[in-house]
Amino acid sequence: MPPNPLANWEKVGDSFYRKIAVYDAIFEDDIELENYIVVGAPYGGAIALYRDESKTFRLRDGQGSRSTIDIYSCSGRKINRINWEQATIRGLGWSDKEELLVVSEDGTVRRYFGLDGEFTSFSLGNGAEEYGVRACQFWSSGLVALLSNNQLIAVSKYDEPRPRLLAPCPEGEVSSWALIPPAHTLSRSVEVLLAVDKTVFLIDSTEAEDKILQDGPFKHISVSPTGRFVALFTAEGRLWVVSNDFQNKFSEYDSKSRVPPNTVNWCGEDAVILGWEDEIHLVGPNGVASKYYYDGRVHVIPEFDGVRLITNDTCEFVHKVAAVTEEIFRLGSSSPASVLLDSVEQLEKKSPKADENIQRIRSSLPSAVDTCIKAAGHEFDAYWQKRLLKAASFGKSVLELYNSDEFVEMTEKLRVLKASRDYKIGLPLSYEQYLRLTPEGLIERLISRHEYLLAIRISEYLQIPADKIYVHWASQKVKVSTVDDEAVCKLIVQRLDGKPGISFEVIAQAAYDEGRSHLATQLLNHEPRAGKQVPLLLNMEEDELALDKAIESGDDDLVNYVLLHLKSKLPLASFFRMINTRPMASALVETAARGDDIELLKDLFYQDDRPIDGANVLLSEALRDTDLTRRTEKLQLASRLLSDSKEPTVVLNQKLVSEASQLLKAQDALDKDLADHSEFLGLSVNETVYRLIRGGYGKRAHKIQNEFKMPEKTFWWLRLRALVAKRDWGELEEIAKLKKSPIGWEPFYNEILGAGNTKLASGFVPKCSHLPPAERIEMWVKCGMIVKAGEEAQKTKDLNTLELLRTKASGPAATEIERMINQQRQRK
Amino acid sequence: MAPLSGSDADYFRDKARRDLLTLLEGARGKKNLVISQELAGPVGLFVKFSVLQEYGVDRVFLLENANIDSSQRNVVFLVRGEKARHVRIVAEQIKRLQNNGNVEHEFSIFFAPRRTLMSNSVLEEAGIIGDVNIAELPLYFMPLEQDILSLELDESFEDLYLHKDPGCIFHSAKALMGVQQRHGYFPRIVGKGDNARRLADLLLRMRKELDAEDSSGLTDPSARGLLPSASVENLIIIDRDVDFGTPLLTQLTYEGLIDEYVGIKNNQADVDTSIVGPAPTPQSESSKAPQQVKQGLKRKIQLDSSDQLFSQLRDANFAIVGDILNKVARRLENEYESRHTAKTTGELREFVNRLPTYQLEHQSLRTHTNLAEEIMRLTRSETFRKTLEVQQNNAAGADSTYQHETIEELIARDVPLKTVLRLLCLESCMSGGLRPRDLESFKRQVLQAYGHQHLLTFWALEKMELLQPRSSATTMLLPTSGAQAGSKTNYGYLRKNLRLVIEEVSEKDPNDISYVYSGFAPLSVRLVQCVLQKSYMVSLIKGGTPAASNTPNTTSPGWLGFEDVVKSARGATFSIVQKGDDKAVRARQTLSGNSATKTVYVFFLGGITFTEIAALRFIAAQEAPRRKIIICTTSIISGDRMMEAAIEKGSFVKAE
Repeated sequence: MPPNPLANWEKVGDSFYRKIAVYDAIFEDDIELENYIVVGAPYGGAIALYRDESKTFRLRDGQGSRSTIDIYSCSGRKINRINWEQATIRGLGWSDKEELLVVSEDGTVRRYFGLDGEFTSFSLGNGAEEYGVRACQFWSSGLVALLSNNQLIAVSKYDEPRPRLLAPCPEGEVSSWALIPPAHTLSRSVEVLLAVDKTVFLIDSTEAEDKILQDGPFKHISVSPTGRFVALFTAEGRLWVVSNDFQNKFSEYDSKSRVPPNTVNWCGEDAVILGWEDEIHLVGPNGVASKYYYDGRVHVIPEFDGVRLITNDTCEFVHKVAAVTEEIFRLGSSSPASVLLDSVEQLEKKSPKADENIQRIRSSLPSAVDTCIKAAGHEFDAYWQKRLLKAASFGKSVLELYNSDEFVEMTEKLRVLKASRDYKIGLPLSYEQYLRLTPEGLIERLISRHEYLLAIRISEYLQIPADKIYVHWASQKVKVSTVDDEAVCKLIVQRLDGKPGISFEVIAQAAYDEGRSHLATQLLNHEPRAGKQVPLLLNMEEDELALDKAIESGDDDLVNYVLLHLKSKLPLASFFRMINTRPMASALVETAARGDDIELLKDLFYQDDRPIDGANVLLSEALRDTDLTRRTEKLQLASRLLSDSKEPTVVLNQKLVSEASQLLKAQDALDKDLADHSEFLGLSVNETVYRLIRGGYGKRAHKIQNEFKMPEKTFWWLRLRALVAKRDWGELEEIAKLKKSPIGWEPFYNEILGAGNTKLASGFVPKCSHLPPAERIEMWVKCGMIVKAGEEAQKTKDLNTLELLRTKASGPAATEIERMINQQRQRK
Repeated sequence: MAPLSGSDADYFRDKARRDLLTLLEGARGKKNLVISQELAGPVGLFVKFSVLQEYGVDRVFLLENANIDSSQRNVVFLVRGEKARHVRIVAEQIKRLQNNGNVEHEFSIFFAPRRTLMSNSVLEEAGIIGDVNIAELPLYFMPLEQDILSLELDESFEDLYLHKDPGCIFHSAKALMGVQQRHGYFPRIVGKGDNARRLADLLLRMRKELDAEDSSGLTDPSARGLLPSASVENLIIIDRDVDFGTPLLTQLTYEGLIDEYVGIKNNQADVDTSIVGPAPTPQSESSKAPQQVKQGLKRKIQLDSSDQLFSQLRDANFAIVGDILNKVARRLENEYESRHTAKTTGELREFVNRLPTYQLEHQSLRTHTNLAEEIMRLTRSETFRKTLEVQQNNAAGADSTYQHETIEELIARDVPLKTVLRLLCLESCMSGGLRPRDLESFKRQVLQAYGHQHLLTFWALEKMELLQPRSSATTMLLPTSGAQAGSKTNYGYLRKNLRLVIEEVSEKDPNDISYVYSGFAPLSVRLVQCVLQKSYMVSLIKGGTPAASNTPNTTSPGWLGFEDVVKSARGATFSIVQKGDDKAVRARQTLSGNSATKTVYVFFLGGITFTEIAALRFIAAQEAPRRKIIICTTSIISGDRMMEAAIEKGSFVKAE
């Protein structure tokens, strides 16, 4: 006999609520739930039980005085027991990923993941240790702790926890508090409602805003799942539902109880659950309520779409009946979907009414089919799921065109839900919860319950990557198996062969953590990603292998990381030996050392016998130093470093380095003799000579030239440029009297002309005897000496040029050119 | 795979912009942005300052200026995660703000392109890792133009060849993986050079790792198990050290010359206002990116395809730039004069509508005429002439010792050190090193002329194998460069066998890429031609008139046909086929057909010059529409920048 779908419906105001018994016989009778704090993970997750220390209890055999946190599935299967030897627990909660968070009085937070008892921990800081944590509230990915000095500390992610103080809040007695998760606040970071004395404060990271209420103290505050409403429970036993800005009051309910309830939770978005020891009030809109009574203590675990009620005997799920379900099953419903469901029954009876029904709702049949499919999802009972799907199937068979995707997907989802709701698994997911949890999330939960087979089946069924399942399985295998390393490795490799995406690195890490480093190495060889192997290899002290793998990955950052690690760990000599044969490593060490560790660089070059590199380091140091003595010392040091070798390059470098210090000495002397401040020090040889000549110290310039064996040509160029810059035409004229110049005379002409002295420049034109006449003519012209140009042209009997020149000439020059032209013509 | 809309350039630009803005949004409220110099320019390529403002950025500071103040509670740093030095500066500044401010700061650091273990340890050492929010900005390729994707790694040349730090190879591989993830695998990777080989190996390895990471081939085949791309033909990787010679020559295209004399950074050039005149009234569009605006002295000129005139000029040999400018000037004049002939009101209205375009064009014409004149002035100077002469003799393979006197004269005349070193390096590259005696004498002269600190410069150049003694006896000493045979590019052989020198090229109406250097074809681009334009190369080498380039290319892939010639260039030669699932490939081939334009990615590892870009565009124009060439590079480089990598900046002169 199928259960009546309406059996557990309860009308609260205008809408229906449904209480479904999901599991029975949860806890053994000797667990006295009234003495425990019970918190459940969202989405039908695990339940943590912790003995409430404020209550007396009966000591039982073998339990001792050690306190523990017990983790159960919703169906009462014990998953794990965590021994707790730390300070008093002040906060117990779960994250969305089913990580158990335990906050102790001294501000230590432990995050247990994977239900296996493994944990990481961090401290809240910010004065938590001093004042002590009073209570904690959790949301899907973070927590807020209330200290006894009314300070609030927020942690918004657990991977890299950054405990942050919220704005300081006012003095006073905190009677209750609640947080608004970041997703529902305007500031996009967590905010807290704090009931202090008669009013409520809204506290975010920067300020505490007084909402100015007068009806406190409020014994409970609870924020609705979407953050739009707030439920307040007053000392007079009244429940108020107000908008989140505290401006509008939507409903009020008088519980008629002077004892405030233990818990006030939202059941979906429209109703509030008040929970006393053994009594539950379900308060809907407009203050209408429905009451449930129990024999023993009942615990309330909130979900976003309802609540779970846990007693020793049952695990129940209370939620609002979905609109589609109501549409079909409500007494007297004549909606198309309801008619469609009825037709299936008629069809089974082979009654013609089936067809009649269909014809009647023909026009709205597609939506009726949709409704039936959706309603099937919300149904917990397999019988009614099947009935509804059958109705949908019948309905769509009549339709000519209907997209069956949703139907198929729903059957898939229902199968998965059925499997996970099984009491052996104990994940009582509602349809909505499954959608939010996602199939991947479900698989993670199965993995942490070691339900590998089901996880793999589901991942194959839904075509989801299964690598994590295999990896977790293998890691577990490594931990528990007692056979020898070879056999385990073989087993794992065989089993995982051909499975894509397997991270052997994780498995190897598990093996290493178990102290089986040989096995770890073996497993690591199967990891295709070189980079992934590195951190573990480092942990395993396989330094050389780690370095090689890092280099293999080509990731310079990873290599640097390994090098940094090795440098701090190994004696310098062996460190150098290790990088010596690896060019990439030594290049990176060199580069890094150049930035921050010059001494290491020197050691490296010394060890490698690279005198030039070593000397160059000293040279750079000398360049950075401003003190002359220290500079010279460095240069001498460099020179000494180079003097050991007979290698020509080294010898040359040695000479040049000595020359550098010699130059500094000479310049120092010049500065002392000629200038009152340092004018020459640090200049190059050429610049020194140039400045000396420009300053009129020709002799000293010569001396420098000789001392540093400056080529004659260079000296001449410098002299020319310096004299031109000095506008020392007299000296230049003197030079012009010389017979020969190693750089020729053309530069003199050019430079002087460039300086604007055409007269002097012209003096050099005749000296450029090696140039072709045409160029010399051009040179004359540039000096404005057309006649001279003409004479040049006349020598070569170049009539054309002469005629060209005539156009440029004016005044007496023109007549002169004219004369030359005539002369030329006559000769012809 | 669904056909992709939009070009790579647009895609990467949008992605970078989106990524950055999302991160900025994550730091709530108003904030000050501190950005490192080397990222400030590139960021300007894809997002405007006004947009940053919309996302709450109040003021922008340069990291190097260290002047961030406490005017905002939120402070966001944007730096490269690979540079420990920068991370250290960030740490210092954060600590400074923490200590002296009475403001409770909220710090975020965005690491581009990734958060590194290195940066973690630096922040840890500084003790602030717990106080900052850290995020990654996966910034890889930045589009300079529709056909140019650059990583804009200014220091890549130095890192790669001087410090032998392969970081930028990894960076490049990541960037190319991004391209592959968009289009599918490069069906073939062709390359030349040892670093190129390393990059190709990394690409193969990353693909393997990606395959391993792809958890299952079962679901969503479009996202997983990438296939060889149907729209991409090749990836050609050219290692810069295969052809050091080309960039050492003075670039002779318009854009190249601007880069040589003014410098172009992130598509912008800082030009003296005495040359181009002061900036026009600031338009809202010109408020580009976070840049320091120095008033009065320099003016930023945007040099990209948004300037139509510049698009026409940029790749032309400078010799004909004057002609083009004249023509445009005349056309503008005519069009402007047309207002007098406008008779009907309709015509008049049309004229008025086009007036802003005229003004814009006019503005651009004035700018470029001034710029061209300035460059003309420089190219007429005696030192330029002499420098160019030495370069061209070297490029043509004339006996280099005849050039020595000229070089010595240039040293004595105190031309910029870069110019001298470029000539020396050019000779060393082109003729396999300098005679030890010559090298020694040049070393002495350079040191005497420019200061003894350049002992370090020479050492760096030797390390980079840019300037070496000819005999291999001394190179044995260098531990980092085992100089075996074939480890140098033999320009002598290649000059002949790849016809690098073409005397009779027309600059005005070019028929060969050698127009870009007035008669010298960049080896690097010739190598690309060996892969893409085989029949052209064959006819070119055989002599006679080069065949019309649009003869259908034989489909022989990779280096086929040129293996022997290419061996004479330095480093590894390779051609790798990336195979996918055969069935899937065939299925897709039947689906998509082969008619579509195939894209060729040419990646210059270690940098590319504007001149080489011009040459590649010349090829691209010939290959269109069968092929599309996308030029990728680590950065834009020039001979001067190569020298700057080596030149020691310190000096013995006391800093005042």
